Amino acid sequence: MNNIFLTIADMLRSLFLGFGLSEYVVELVMAAIYASVVFALIGLLVLILVLAERKISGYIQLRPGPNRVGPHGIFQLIADMLKMLGKESITPAAVDKWPFVLAPILMFVPTMLLYAVIPFGEGMVAADLNLGVFYFIAIGSLTTLPLFMAGWSSSNKYSLIGGMRAVAQMVSYELPLIFSILGVIMIAGSMRMNDIVLAQSGMWFVILQPIAFLVFFISALAELNRAPFDLPEGETELTAGVFTEYTPMRFALFQMAEYGNVFIMSGLMVTLFLGGWQAPFGLTFIPSYIWFFAKVFMMIFVIMWVRWTFPRIRVDKLMDFGWKFLLPVSLVNIFVTGIGIYLFQNF
Amino acid sequence: MYGKGLLEGMAVTLKNFFKKNVTEMYPEEKPRLSERFHGSFVLTADKCIACGICSNACPNMVIKIGSERDENKKRFLTSYEMDIQYCLFCGLCVESCPTDAINFNKEFELACYSRQGVVLNMWKRPENINSSNEG
Repeated sequence: MNNIFLTIADMLRSLFLGFGLSEYVVELVMAAIYASVVFALIGLLVLILVLAERKISGYIQLRPGPNRVGPHGIFQLIADMLKMLGKESITPAAVDKWPFVLAPILMFVPTMLLYAVIPFGEGMVAADLNLGVFYFIAIGSLTTLPLFMAGWSSSNKYSLIGGMRAVAQMVSYELPLIFSILGVIMIAGSMRMNDIVLAQSGMWFVILQPIAFLVFFISALAELNRAPFDLPEGETELTAGVFTEYTPMRFALFQMAEYGNVFIMSGLMVTLFLGGWQAPFGLTFIPSYIWFFAKVFMMIFVIMWVRWTFPRIRVDKLMDFGWKFLLPVSLVNIFVTGIGIYLFQNF
Repeated sequence: MYGKGLLEGMAVTLKNFFKKNVTEMYPEEKPRLSERFHGSFVLTADKCIACGICSNACPNMVIKIGSERDENKKRFLTSYEMDIQYCLFCGLCVESCPTDAINFNKEFELACYSRQGVVLNMWKRPENINSSNEG
């Protein structure tokens, strides 16, 4: 049961080898299959996450959320999709055409690329790079630019301010994000995702690096543009902020990218700090991928819980907090970790 | 502790997550209305003495009363019409009735499909002195 996906992959591989194709072509075909599985997974996850957000926000606010379309509202998203597909796609006359059209697509591309390095289970990584974390950070920073493209090209003062704020926020929270990951890499000794997961078999890194976990959590929220850091898309602040000029079909792509990012950041959080696909307390009869998804959904619940609890942070205080508090704290964390590793290895 | 207020806030929201919802699921559940709810009207024709106070009290002239005198020169009610499209549901007619003949009931689903003929906001009930009301 634990290795069911690996067995399926092996069966497919031997099937293709049986057709008489060369090793190289078989690997290409397997990579294409992994890619399509990842696309399907993203689609499914976005559906689940949007519904989960609406239901969780409803229950926190003592109301039921969508519950008319299908039992507990599970078909609500299909109704929304049908509505969005039917809407007219307006491109205002004064926009800068190419960035306007390309921004939603480019927002979605880094999200898809990031799904390749997360270990979903034991041995289930699509691409086991030995620079896994580095790749993640590099590609993850790419999400800043499409937001700015969207803000700039819709020649609308609200979008422009939203775009500027988005860039400022995301760039200034990259540094605490990276520095908090550095502590984990120092302890694990490698940047490969699987190695980091296996290095947590003794004790999860959230216990060894609690401050780094908090700093990472807060910086991840700022990177994802989610409350309480969601000024760029501030729904009540700047009409729709960066997304004012976008008609639903393009807006849907932005939303899919956002929820895809939420999932993948939670996936990184779980991999680096919460033990990845490993079972806590030795309950190994439950397959590893189920543990992974359970932990990720728990983190997503915490992210949504934080969203519906706290008010939005003002942009200057947000920048203050990032530069003047989180960055020094994460640097101090690295020093303390280094000293700790030195003492641990020599005594 | 530095972030104590934040954690208290999160505890409150988590408790709310597990509490029962306060939403009333209309139309499966009928809403809980108070005793003095201003819904539709019900006339107890036996009590009505056709004095015309309700008709005079109404700000929009919604109530139209028809009455006649019998052999003892005593007034009795022959018709009682209320044109609900102009009614404010203010309750002055109910308050001013000396015999407590006209009253509110709890019916609030008063929408109809046409204005003339079959009832669209036009509540016409020709009453006979010997019949009691129905809604």
